[in-house]
Amino acid sequence: MKIRFNLFDEECVLNLIPKVFKKIFPRIREDEGSAETAGKSADPEHSDKKLSPAEISPPAVKEESMPSRDEDENPFSNPPELRRVIQAPVLIENLFPPESTEVLIKAQPSTNHDQCLFRINRPVLPGYSWWFGKFEDAQGSPLAERLFSIDGVEAVLVHEDTVTITRLEKTGLDWKPLAGEVGTAVREVMQQGTPLIAEKIIREMPSEDEIRSGIQRAIDTEVNPGVAGHGGNVTLNSIKGNTITIQMGGGCQGCSAADVTLKQGIHRTFREQVPFVGAIYDETDHAAGLNPYF
Amino acid sequence: MPKLMNFKLQIETGEPGMAGPVLFTINNHKLPLENIQGTTDPGGVFEGGFDVNSFAHSLTLVGPEKGQWHIRKIKVDYECGDSAPYTVTFGEVTLDETTEVNIWKDPPLPTFDV
Repeated sequence: MKIRFNLFDEECVLNLIPKVFKKIFPRIREDEGSAETAGKSADPEHSDKKLSPAEISPPAVKEESMPSRDEDENPFSNPPELRRVIQAPVLIENLFPPESTEVLIKAQPSTNHDQCLFRINRPVLPGYSWWFGKFEDAQGSPLAERLFSIDGVEAVLVHEDTVTITRLEKTGLDWKPLAGEVGTAVREVMQQGTPLIAEKIIREMPSEDEIRSGIQRAIDTEVNPGVAGHGGNVTLNSIKGNTITIQMGGGCQGCSAADVTLKQGIHRTFREQVPFVGAIYDETDHAAGLNPYF
Repeated sequence: MPKLMNFKLQIETGEPGMAGPVLFTINNHKLPLENIQGTTDPGGVFEGGFDVNSFAHSLTLVGPEKGQWHIRKIKVDYECGDSAPYTVTFGEVTLDETTEVNIWKDPPLPTFDV
């Protein structure tokens, strides 16, 4: 014979489970109490003794040692210690000889080889960062104009004493030929002695608070509603000048598609809604992701 | 993620320092450091390490049980199974009873001069 439940019956059964447990636990307590009393009376030492009413009733100490009803209902009354993991800045020390008069540049291609970071022993844009997404954005900034004149450069990001180049060709693995051209271009422009980046950019830069509120609005209204479908979330960690650091959580943390979400979704939304935002860094510890979507 | 054989920590404390033992977590297991030297008093330098011999999914330095601990610099020497030993230096951070700081970094990407 098959027993079939409809939705209403299932709900009834589920509602019954906690009630049944609540019924069972007091009964066990009663059983323990009665067993104690029964054991006492069965004890040969006490068997021929007439027990007083105080001896028959369960001892008060035993009752106090039993967990309270609230503790019974909350098995997580002592939750494990949870701490927030923060990130400390990584210091790059002794990269270049301190007294060098030459322009020294070190190139570091990214793991997926679509970008290359160039560290220079000279300031490029102190205190700020700037994203040149296309050649037209570079107008008035000699360094960016010169870098866009190199074949294969898709975008340029400058930040403090670094330049990051994104190249058009995503499949090529060897950065050395293009990096050599970038190095030559950077040295040429630096030797001219003119400002590397348009002064207008810094002059018109909004305050950190304005950038922060714009980014937070973008996160609340577009980014988080978008990634929530995959159980993810994005938080703004810090802002310095116009450089921001974010952290991905939930389904985004450790997700194999996090890089695509970051570059094609989050970066684009931030730059559309807050045009003055410069570098966007992701501080997520993706290796520690507990429930990645992909 | 490479197999972490062992790591050594050097912590430069600022103001305020910390009185309790220095603890770290590896893959969410909290442990004390071994072969410890020095102090976490203000201005002190503390050294310690641990033979992990496992894959580190997370590695953090735990904040004090009470109060704050200002750290000027943390230098970590890692020895991994499949790559050359490397060192990472972390900058200033302040820890308290609710925080821990990440001290794990993958081996550095190769660089070249241009």
